Amino acid sequence: MQLQLQNLCRQYGTKCAVNHVNANLSPGVYGLLGANGAGKTTLMRMICGVLKPTSGSIRLDGKPIDELGEQYYSRLGYMPQDFGFYPDFTAWEFMLYMAAVKGLDRKTAKDRTERLLHLVNLQEAAGKKIKSYSGGMKQRLGIAQAELNHPSILILDEPTAGLDPKERIRFRNLISDFAREKIVILSTHIVSDVSYIADYILMMKGGQFLLGEPMNTVTDHIRGKVWELLADNREIGEYSRRFAVVNLHHENDMVRLRIISDAPPAPDARPAEPSLEDLFLYHFGENAQNERSDDNVDKI
Amino acid sequence: MEKTIREYQKLFENPDNVGYDGNEKFIIGGAYWNDVAPKENLLNIIASVYDSPGESSGLNKLPALDLTDGPMFYQTAGEKKEALLNMPSRDLSDKQKNYWRSKSSKVETPLQYGYHKGWEIIINSFELLMFALLAVCITIAPVFSGEYQARTDAVILSGKYGKTKLATAKITASVLFGTLAFTLHVLVALGLTLGAFGTEGWNLPLQIAGAAIPYPFTFLQAVVIGLGAVYLVLLAMIGLTLLLSAKMKSPYLVLTVLLPVLFLPLFLSPNGTGGAYNLTLFLLPYRAVMPEFDKYISYQAGGLVLDALTMRVILYTVLTAVLLPLAKLSFRRHQAV
Repeated sequence: MQLQLQNLCRQYGTKCAVNHVNANLSPGVYGLLGANGAGKTTLMRMICGVLKPTSGSIRLDGKPIDELGEQYYSRLGYMPQDFGFYPDFTAWEFMLYMAAVKGLDRKTAKDRTERLLHLVNLQEAAGKKIKSYSGGMKQRLGIAQAELNHPSILILDEPTAGLDPKERIRFRNLISDFAREKIVILSTHIVSDVSYIADYILMMKGGQFLLGEPMNTVTDHIRGKVWELLADNREIGEYSRRFAVVNLHHENDMVRLRIISDAPPAPDARPAEPSLEDLFLYHFGENAQNERSDDNVDKI
Repeated sequence: MEKTIREYQKLFENPDNVGYDGNEKFIIGGAYWNDVAPKENLLNIIASVYDSPGESSGLNKLPALDLTDGPMFYQTAGEKKEALLNMPSRDLSDKQKNYWRSKSSKVETPLQYGYHKGWEIIINSFELLMFALLAVCITIAPVFSGEYQARTDAVILSGKYGKTKLATAKITASVLFGTLAFTLHVLVALGLTLGAFGTEGWNLPLQIAGAAIPYPFTFLQAVVIGLGAVYLVLLAMIGLTLLLSAKMKSPYLVLTVLLPVLFLPLFLSPNGTGGAYNLTLFLLPYRAVMPEFDKYISYQAGGLVLDALTMRVILYTVLTAVLLPLAKLSFRRHQAV
């Protein structure tokens, strides 16, 4: 199975949200990273056929998805970012409704609904109206509906947004379970989530793929550019002004800084093992730092 | 009929029975309650024939009516219809006049008179069904736009049947719901009226409610045909509501377009029965639910002449056939931005 994105563009007026994107995706988990407005959601909506590309095409095993129609959608599972529910439906009713939309027969629909609600730990709340659910419960219901038809292409747009750390870990494991033999595209700006489960990293910036690499080699680009050093408290401002500071940690009267720089930021700086978070910051610079300021530390 | 008129004329021979308001004479007191009131409706029908087109003099012409050669009711009614057809304000072509003459010639005479109050009220109250129609449209306005508003559009449109069977199912459900809900309204409206006034008169000719009516229908036939046209208006309005719903982001926006379409004609009065303005007005939803059996509204294209009822049937059937598939197409093409 191969999903091909060929010269994919989507314009909103004069703004190009997705700009000539090309990719051949085979089964595996793809972490789609990018700052807000990079074009991730637009790209995912086009892959899911709910947004028409301005130009270019999306093909599954060589056939345009427009032509495949129901054949394509029957293999697709989609959890949109911040999507709505029917507030007066119970989770059970919502799942059965979605199962009908996905073309499952009644028995299969009931069996899978029961199993999936159990998997996402919603079995006890299955009879409650969705309007009474917390954000995390809604996210779990979102992924459960995406998996209803056992899709071979699973698109998850910011699935861990709004979840607490415990729920995020649970979610990551769940996605790993679902991911076997599938093309899973997982968009997030919480880098640690994808670093655990992604096989490949796709980075988007300005509507284009900045890089696409296997997870185990993706940070090779910045090997030798990540540094750690101990600095005096008074020097923090100066370092922050001159370099991209990924992390700082107070140790007694000193501060341990993690810095990304092409050259050593100080004579006593020691090279460190690069992480995905370092790579993200290396490419997205101020944008990423701005996002960090209003979120928790492992969120970029 | 002659006997009825003569009895009425005879009442005027006794000055105690006659009132005068400085302008016209009329029967008063016991004579009115005993001899006029029970058959006032019949007298009004008879008297209306002797009024000129556009004139409404009540019973005033009956006391002085010359009955030497009999009442000549049907002859006078025929002459009045002819006068109506030839009124300059109607601006009817010869083909249109012949069309109405041909229709009118099928009305069987003599007319049979009887109690028909319930049916007359129903025929005169068709426009009230607009409120039932509006209720149906309000209810189905969120069918598609509600999905956009609730942000469920992306997830259902990416489902296997989201763009195909789901769209069809939503349209089918809307049509079924709309038709059933409207039928419920109609049954309640008919049931209350016929329950209160009785079902008598269903097989009487429509002409006893207006002698100039050219349609050879009984009251029941007129109500069924009128309702048939209203149902077509309903289906077309369901189609329009669904199309707007598929195109617009919220049900409120749908209603901002729909309400003027349905009720703006309420504030537009016809100034005749001819001309583009009037002919258009009689086809708009608000007017289209009124049967207007006595208006002689006709449309001509080349040699083809059609009355308002037939035009409405054609127009609203075509609109339904176009709007429902367009609604489906619009939903299929919806972009979940």
